[in-house]
Amino acid sequence: MSTSTGSTLDAATVTMISLIGSLADNKSALGRRYGEWAVSAPTIESAVAAAAMAQDELGHARSTYPVLAKLGVHRDDEGLDAGYPLRVIAAELPDWASVIAANLVVDGILTTWVASARDSALEPLAQRARKILQEEGAHRVHAEAWLRRLCAAGGADRDLLLTRIAEMWAAAARWPGPADHAGYRAAVSEGMVSAGPAEIRGRVRDWLTGRLMSAGAAADLRDPSDWSDWDESHRR
Amino acid sequence: MSRAEETVWEVFARQAYEEPLHHVGTLTESDEDLALVCARAIYDEHPWVHMILVPRAEIREAIRA
Repeated sequence: MSTSTGSTLDAATVTMISLIGSLADNKSALGRRYGEWAVSAPTIESAVAAAAMAQDELGHARSTYPVLAKLGVHRDDEGLDAGYPLRVIAAELPDWASVIAANLVVDGILTTWVASARDSALEPLAQRARKILQEEGAHRVHAEAWLRRLCAAGGADRDLLLTRIAEMWAAAARWPGPADHAGYRAAVSEGMVSAGPAEIRGRVRDWLTGRLMSAGAAADLRDPSDWSDWDESHRR
Repeated sequence: MSRAEETVWEVFARQAYEEPLHHVGTLTESDEDLALVCARAIYDEHPWVHMILVPRAEIREAIRA
């Protein structure tokens, strides 16, 4: 891979470009998905919270794309539908359980990765990470509270949430990439991020398993095993 | 749970530490954590430095309206 100036990039930088670009693509898609449900949430209070989270995510996407420019990569501003987000959030979500599952799993994976970049050697990324983490705290509270509520409701509401969590996990757990990825390993050793793919998945799994157990539930959160069709540039 | 069974919260906030808390509105939400998230999202018209929520049922009237 080369930059807009034609220079050849090392493996760590190539991986970071993929991660940062995909982070922005997925935050843009999450913002749209939350925004669509701001007019359909179960209560007006939830609708306002969804709108606020949409605004946060779109802001994070908009402010993350310029970090790529600092790495010498130019991406045209192609609008809200641009990019290559995870397929599970690439189109309107079918039900409120999917919104909460995306809030828990996709937002959870992305935010855990952002936390690993809080002290990144890439200073523009570290600055964005600190701002994003300030705002993501409320998203986590929102996700955990709705997990408790839907699990407490039991029956079809609980079952659908657990199904949606498993679906989101199957896709989002692949986002960090294979545990033994050479470019990612180089990025960690160069201080660009502090945690590798397996650690990112493990942190989210531990947190989510704990929250589910507290609510008397469980979901299939296994590590991905087949990476044969994984697309590194789009991380899906 | 019907909306009528949920907790109604009275929301108070101030823009500066030297100001008293002002009543800024209400919201209906049974989960305390969600109530805190929703209050910040709904009543974001000013850069508050402090916001509190009080369950309406916990308010005691010294003089009844």
